[in-house]
Amino acid sequence: MAGQAAGGDRLFRSIQAAKPKLVTGVPDGMLAQTIMACAASPDFPYIACAREEECIGVACGAAMAGERAIVMVQNAGLLNSLGAFATMGLRYGLPFVIIVTNRGALADPNGYDIEKREAFDAGVRPMARVFDFDASDFPDDLIPAAFKWAEAARKPVIIALEKRLGSLADSGAAA
Amino acid sequence: MSEPNTMQSNLPSQKDAIAAALALYPTRPFAVSDIGSQSGWLKASGHDARNLYVSGPMGLATSIALGLAAVRPDDQVLAIAGDGALAMNLTSLATIVGAKPKNLSILLVDNRVYEFTASVPTPTREMDWLAVGRAFFGADQCMRLSDLTPERWAGVARPAMIVADIAAALAKPPALGMTPAMIRMEFLGAAKRS
Repeated sequence: MAGQAAGGDRLFRSIQAAKPKLVTGVPDGMLAQTIMACAASPDFPYIACAREEECIGVACGAAMAGERAIVMVQNAGLLNSLGAFATMGLRYGLPFVIIVTNRGALADPNGYDIEKREAFDAGVRPMARVFDFDASDFPDDLIPAAFKWAEAARKPVIIALEKRLGSLADSGAAA
Repeated sequence: MSEPNTMQSNLPSQKDAIAAALALYPTRPFAVSDIGSQSGWLKASGHDARNLYVSGPMGLATSIALGLAAVRPDDQVLAIAGDGALAMNLTSLATIVGAKPKNLSILLVDNRVYEFTASVPTPTREMDWLAVGRAFFGADQCMRLSDLTPERWAGVARPAMIVADIAAALAKPPALGMTPAMIRMEFLGAAKRS
């Protein structure tokens, strides 16, 4: 449990360093600690959405006003949201950051996650820039760097976090 | 099959309902309209840089408006959704209740058809939207447009919902005539000035 808290806290600190105006999401086990930290943060509101597509809308609303917004969802949730991602995020050129837990990796072989990952590869990667990282080993400036890229590219960017074989630290995964 | 335009001819048009809702505010709110019918009629009711014409999936205006309201807490935000659109994102009402934005309202314009199809009925045509809105926001924060005055609206706590029964239009609204880039840049300027 201590490792889970540490992994979640590390991602939270990277989010905090990017100075977002809002964070929104739908929980995944790998994101739970980070979401709890965001919800408790006095620095920005965390908007808990009922569905992942709503998160894309919420982030687009903030980005339309020129403010930084972060979405946190599982890969299956982003798959549910591709219409909104394309017709708002890409069409309007909105630079927000989506943190996706890319479940179904070699080190994360839940039977119910395998097709999610395959659909993510087939459906998301051809239409969006995805940068992949080990959920337990990413640079502290990951989220600030993601915003710099998105703002330069004038489009959303996806940071995909996954469990990797041989990682020394706990990824923060709860499920 | 019934003729919605004839059946509802005593009801206001969508354009007039949107204009009436905007007139409830002492100063122009940000207005976020769903794709197609709502965006077209919002623009037809009077273009303003604070209008955000959405081209995303039907129903996403309420979510986009929530994000905007969160980053502009000192400004009023009005999401404009059709009955067909809001039915596609009904969960956003639950999210809004949980987020408790003190500056967000929703105008539901209900003509009981998908307007761009001219005649296809919405699956919510038998639903009582006032009861739905009150289930989410409470009776004091969900009312009919026809019951509102600027004075009464000023005293309504947010988040709130306005339900407007409208006539189905005989024709589609005029085209927006704006690209997404134009919409974004103009809106961004208004948002930065607020």
